[in-house]
Amino acid sequence: MATAGAYTQAAAAVPVSALEAVSLALRRDLTLAFRKPAQLLQPLAFFALVTMLFPLAISPELSQLRAVAPGALWAAALLASLLALEFLFRDDALDGTLEQYALSGQSLTALLCAKTLAHWLLTGLPLACMAPFAALALGAPSAALSGIVASVLLGSITLSLIGSIGAALTLNIKRSSALLSLLTLPLSLPVLIFGARATQVAISGGALIAPLELLAALAVLALTLAPLAAAAAVRISLE
Amino acid sequence: MREFLDMGGYAAFVWPAYAVTFAVIGLNIFWARRALAHARRSALRRLESGNAPP
Amino acid sequence: MNFTWFHRLGSPPYTYALARRLTPWFAWPAALLILAGLWGGLVLAPPDYQQGDGFRIIYVHAPSAWMSLMVYTSMAVAAAVGLIWRIKVAHAAAASCAPIGASFTVAALVTGSLWGQPMWGTYWQWDPRLTSELVLLFLYLGYMGLRAGIEDTQRADRASALLAVVGVINVPIIHYSVTWWNSLHQAPSVMRLAKPTMAASMLVPLLMMLLGFTLLFAALLLVRLRAEILTRERTSSWIREALRA
Repeated sequence: MATAGAYTQAAAAVPVSALEAVSLALRRDLTLAFRKPAQLLQPLAFFALVTMLFPLAISPELSQLRAVAPGALWAAALLASLLALEFLFRDDALDGTLEQYALSGQSLTALLCAKTLAHWLLTGLPLACMAPFAALALGAPSAALSGIVASVLLGSITLSLIGSIGAALTLNIKRSSALLSLLTLPLSLPVLIFGARATQVAISGGALIAPLELLAALAVLALTLAPLAAAAAVRISLE
Repeated sequence: MREFLDMGGYAAFVWPAYAVTFAVIGLNIFWARRALAHARRSALRRLESGNAPP
Repeated sequence: MNFTWFHRLGSPPYTYALARRLTPWFAWPAALLILAGLWGGLVLAPPDYQQGDGFRIIYVHAPSAWMSLMVYTSMAVAAAVGLIWRIKVAHAAAASCAPIGASFTVAALVTGSLWGQPMWGTYWQWDPRLTSELVLLFLYLGYMGLRAGIEDTQRADRASALLAVVGVINVPIIHYSVTWWNSLHQAPSVMRLAKPTMAASMLVPLLMMLLGFTLLFAALLLVRLRAEILTRERTSSWIREALRA
């Protein structure tokens, strides 16, 4: 009797507030990701590798590298974040969790926002921490480093958000990495342009506030619109 | 006439530009008509094969 | 406001028949306007005082660039209509737009590059217009790639429609950021042609070409739309009668 009652109680729906649902989703993603730390390191290793390509392809002289540092840094960051996008929805789409999110009655937009936030904490934030090392390797002066970190922090938020749309659209497509890049890169160009500009201003020691404000504006725009688009895309992909 | 073809010395740029554009126009017309012909053929074949519902 | 016409267009047999009837009304005027524009632009218009006869590339470059943007916008509008009202014909129209728009984007890039060599001394220049055109080409390719990647027609329709709408919102943002980036680096002068003071003899053929290309797009769209509708509706009963016509 007691077991039956407990079973029924467990099966009955437990109302969860939106905030609880979002924090649950966030914690779940973070916990799951930390069980596979190797997977977390891959995009960062990729970022380091791509950064290394430039001195080898151009010149070992730091003075020459300094000129291309903003572009090289941001190209590497963009490519690394693209690589990391594969991990955003793939596992959850495969095991049906995403479907459960969509059916749960909670706002899919909010849940996806939580997932994207987790993804950013796991990829964008570490990327921003690695960026000063990459910048130094490319000849940037140490005075520029704080500005570079700020720009990559802001830019990576936008990149994760824009990427979530492409990732959601290509959920069910096999071997979709090239298509995902084709979809995401054109939309990410403004981040690249403003981010590289911010890095350049940081290196040359100018007023950083204007480019950072532009990056922040992009991030806010992405934050308001991208989760909506991603949620719509997930629903379409799960049909 | 020769002046016209010469395009004031820019012939090497003007004429290829026109050629490419009209090639694109021509290809578009060709592809569109081919798509329609193909679709008609497929639909007719399907109807003829007797698999189609009444 | 009577919206019956809108709902009627959502019916595949109706639109199929309408497309068939309307095509010549767009195709022949398009041909006439383009021929007239060619005559006016290549023969009648005087050479530009700065660029000589080289400026005549504008009569193919500007319409191509116009097409690339207009077709993308049309595609996005059709896609949005399909998403919001769930009208299959709208999705078919959007699918029909993509190859047309992509090919004219290539034409715009090639003609722009050919125009650039005599004017700037280089076949390629990262000026805002050409760069934006290139990005637009990638947006088209992404749209077509996504469609090709999803097997289920309905899902492909809706996914690519969402992409088109997201893309069209981004086009002004991308264009603005590219223009801003370009102005920072003081790139050589953008392809200007003193538009307000362009002589009528130069302007009129240009307008004819622009209009002619637009009508051509309409004709091409109608033909492709018929093909799309036939393919999508091939299991429907009205096909038999429509094909007999």
